[in-house]
Amino acid sequence: MTKKMNESFASLVILVPIIGAFTIPLFAKISPRMRVLAATIIAFSTSLLAMSLIPFVIGGNEFILRKPLILGFDFVLIVDALSVFMSIAASFIGALIVLYSAGYISHDENQTEYYFMVLLFIGSMMGLVYSANLIFMYIFWEITAICSWRLIGFYRLKEFVVKANKAFLITFLGAVVMLLGFILIYNQTNSFDLTTMRGTMVPGMAVLLILIGMFSKSATLPLHTWLPDAGIAPSTVTSLLHAAVLVKIGVYAYARIFCWTFQMPDTWYQVIPVIVIISSLVAAGAALVENDLKRILAYSTVSQIGYIFLGLSTMNPIGIAGAILFLLMHGLAKGGLFLCAGIVEHNTHKRDIRELGGLIKTMPITAICFLLCALSVIGIPPFGGFFSKFMVIMGAVKAGQFWIAGLGLFIAVLTAVYLFRVFNMVFLGDYSKLDIDIKEKTKSMLFVVIVLAGCSLLAGIFVNYPMKLVNVATSEITRWLTPWLAAQHY
Amino acid sequence: MASSTTLLISILLPAVFAVIVFLIPSKLRALRNAFSLIGAAIVLCLGFYLFGVKNAELNIPWLGMDINFDLRLYHLNSLIIMAVSVFLFLITIYSFVKMKEHPRAREYYTYLFLTVAFVNGAVLANNFVLMVFFWESLLVTLYGLIAIGNKEAYKTALKSFILVGFCDFCMILGIGILWYLTGSLNMPLAPLDPSSSGLAAVSCVLMLIGALGKAGVMPFHTWIPDASKDAPVTVMAFIITVIDKMLGIYLFVRISLDFFVIGMNSALSMFLMILGALTIIFALFMTFVQNNLKRMLAYQSIGEVGYMILGIGSATPVGIAGGIFYMLNQTLFKGGLFLSAGSIEHRTGTTDFDKLGGLRNKMPLTMICFVICAVACCGLWPFNGFVSEEMVMHGAKETGYIIFMIAAWIGTALTAASMLKAAHSIFWGKENKELSKIKESELLITLPIIVLALLCIVFGVHNYLPIVMFVEPIFYGYTGFLEHSGFTAHALNFFNPVAITSFVCILLGVIVYLYGWSKNSKNAASSSESVRSFPVLKNIYNLAEAKIFDIYDQGLKFLKVLGYILYYGVDRVIDFMYEKIIAGTVRVVGAILRFAHNGYYANYLAWCIGGLIIIVAVISLLS
Repeated sequence: MTKKMNESFASLVILVPIIGAFTIPLFAKISPRMRVLAATIIAFSTSLLAMSLIPFVIGGNEFILRKPLILGFDFVLIVDALSVFMSIAASFIGALIVLYSAGYISHDENQTEYYFMVLLFIGSMMGLVYSANLIFMYIFWEITAICSWRLIGFYRLKEFVVKANKAFLITFLGAVVMLLGFILIYNQTNSFDLTTMRGTMVPGMAVLLILIGMFSKSATLPLHTWLPDAGIAPSTVTSLLHAAVLVKIGVYAYARIFCWTFQMPDTWYQVIPVIVIISSLVAAGAALVENDLKRILAYSTVSQIGYIFLGLSTMNPIGIAGAILFLLMHGLAKGGLFLCAGIVEHNTHKRDIRELGGLIKTMPITAICFLLCALSVIGIPPFGGFFSKFMVIMGAVKAGQFWIAGLGLFIAVLTAVYLFRVFNMVFLGDYSKLDIDIKEKTKSMLFVVIVLAGCSLLAGIFVNYPMKLVNVATSEITRWLTPWLAAQHY
Repeated sequence: MASSTTLLISILLPAVFAVIVFLIPSKLRALRNAFSLIGAAIVLCLGFYLFGVKNAELNIPWLGMDINFDLRLYHLNSLIIMAVSVFLFLITIYSFVKMKEHPRAREYYTYLFLTVAFVNGAVLANNFVLMVFFWESLLVTLYGLIAIGNKEAYKTALKSFILVGFCDFCMILGIGILWYLTGSLNMPLAPLDPSSSGLAAVSCVLMLIGALGKAGVMPFHTWIPDASKDAPVTVMAFIITVIDKMLGIYLFVRISLDFFVIGMNSALSMFLMILGALTIIFALFMTFVQNNLKRMLAYQSIGEVGYMILGIGSATPVGIAGGIFYMLNQTLFKGGLFLSAGSIEHRTGTTDFDKLGGLRNKMPLTMICFVICAVACCGLWPFNGFVSEEMVMHGAKETGYIIFMIAAWIGTALTAASMLKAAHSIFWGKENKELSKIKESELLITLPIIVLALLCIVFGVHNYLPIVMFVEPIFYGYTGFLEHSGFTAHALNFFNPVAITSFVCILLGVIVYLYGWSKNSKNAASSSESVRSFPVLKNIYNLAEAKIFDIYDQGLKFLKVLGYILYYGVDRVIDFMYEKIIAGTVRVVGAILRFAHNGYYANYLAWCIGGLIIIVAVISLLS
């Protein structure tokens, strides 16, 4: 493909969902069916556009698209293995969730707004992923915050709106603090353009401020409690938040800003693993105690995000590769888990796992998909989650952080305990607790769940294919690191 | 090279058959059986073929970063692959009858073939990442196989999943540290001395936990007795007593020969021998008081792991050879015993001692095979158990610590007593009237048991054969082992002090049994009550039955407490800060500001002028 084509494809990945979002009200005027159809087509074409960039980046190529504007506010897009990988993971899972929504959301009001917000969400995520300018990253960052605020409070009950406000305020606070960090960097370098600043050492204060932003978005201790509370949203939305777009923003921005671009003062490489592993442990402990299905899964996300941060903070190839792979594997598996939970919730109108039981008898497909996704999240081969978690742990060992690696494995045991607790209490055991006639849900919903569970399995068996892209991304990230790594005696 | 692709086929083929069997609808049982038989037969041929090939390698790029899909066939793993394929064949034909009515037979065959695929992968892997991949994949099939048992089986399945998973995670950390120390994830590496640094020792111990946890060593054994109750008996026979033991001991041998240097009488060797001795004693004491055949055999198989650890942990050539030979023999006689238990269960529907009795005339074939396997299990001359037990004991003797031999002897006595109790109460004893119409099991069930029982005799009488063909070649290429060859010198010589003492211990076991039997109104099933009510033992037994020693139950309690501490101590506190403190502060500040904005024009003017004065004052002060 020519360079020109790649450039237009890269812009289209962002423009198609954003402009598409604004056409949804028009399609809604025609008919509700058209609305769903249009949203699905837009979401899948975004994902296809992102995939079309694979042949270009897999050879280790990258290109930077620059539209000069005033005062260093250039609109800069970067297309490399990292951004393409992330955009594929996010848009593919996002598209599947849109397809699932067709069944899930079909009886609710405000569907036009729903599809508008979801597509805008995916679009701004694409914008954030490809942006290489801190200011544009911030702008897209805030658009996602607005979308998530509207979507979390989708059911409009008073207490739901309060929870949506909480999510918005905490992530917004983080983002504003992060903006201060960006300004500190601007003071030092007179630029917001990441591509020109690779390898620059940034002051510790800026690292702290930016990390607060990332931790708030990626729900890491102590800025995580909005995420479990966001479970009041429709299951499709929580799935979207956890698997595809929202919580992955913080980790992706970490990879882009602190791994790909800047160099941090050395103490941060020691401090961050400790913070994230504690976050991971606390969330795993909370997931063990909670009884609400979606809250357990939300805490599980907080716990898994810790691994991604851990892998990125090790700054060695295997840890970074594991973390990048984790973005995809966790997205597939956690998306599947939430959508299974959505089917359960839709069918039984219950979310307390103590009130559920024996659903495997009436919903075998959902139950098996749930189990497969759970095994991937725990990190059991031959599922994809194994490789990502394994490599992150190995990265931590390689960085000499044996205690943190050991704790990481302990948390994996905890993950197994709480996810199997959910599985046993919801799908196995006594069926008589529920006296409702329960059937499997619509074909499109089941199809999506099967695809996600199947992908979790296939991504493990054929892990060499995603790994090709991950390895390219890792070598691009670590290119400037190599002399630095040598100095650190890794 | 053709043989190198065969390595890949040996992994893919069972997996393909697993998929085929899974896709055949449950109703077409004959078709499923046919495919299972064909699959097992092909795997069997492949196993023998690979054992003949002996040396082959395959290396394909996989994950990048120097982590390749790297397979290597050599003597030790070809032996395991062959043994697994033989057992797969036997268990498949056994299952045709035994699992006929099982509602989830389709899943069963699928997991069976998948397990074989993963085992072949795990032993062939020549790269740690690849090995962990296959090794841990077995967790899934183990979970599935146990879960298809009875109604409560899913709890046991989870227990096994968590316990074995924990051991596997320990192994991952051990491998990571080994990688940190040696810089390579590929297997043929220069063995590391665990006493060289603290990290090396930690790495070695963690990897040993992984290997021995799989084999079912104390304290990670507690799922095995539970599984004997809940899982199908074929699963117990094939997966838990054959495959897990073989895999665990395989890795144990690799660790002690290839990855680490474990010297005789080193700290690690002592640790292993103590672990082995404790496992023997505790497990076999538990064995004697069981009142269910399957549960008894489960505890006994744990005790036998103790013998293998004792032998290999002694780090003497004859001990290691004995441990490996013990592993092979154990799969034969313990497999035979479990399949006999399955045969009894198949006809009578139970394996409880007090419900059985007088089956010797009704199930003669099962009885003969059971007795042969049981006698081999006790280590009586001239059966195979005798040979390997002697080798293990001689290995322990060479270390100079007699205490370990005493532990092994106590184990021998207890094994003899419990096997006698089992055989007596099932095949002799008082006949249960409900069982008067029992017949011998079908040929497909008895045939595998007969094969195993015959092998027990052959491996004992002709022990030269397996030792030279299977055990000795393992040591080719290692210095200090073959100079010692003539492992058989110890083997069939009955007239040496060690063997005679063992024989005396067996007699002692018989006496203990007979004493208990006569004490408890000549009832075989309750003959262990005398030991059960022995002063100190009584307390230990009571605690064990209350699951005080169950690391799983205690661990779950610990995790629960930890969860509560983290949730209420950290998570909720942080949330309280957001919900109450920050939101409350905002509310108070808002109220004050609202009070200031009371809507009076004059008031706002006063604020503005006041602010202006302050700004002017600040600017003039600064300039």
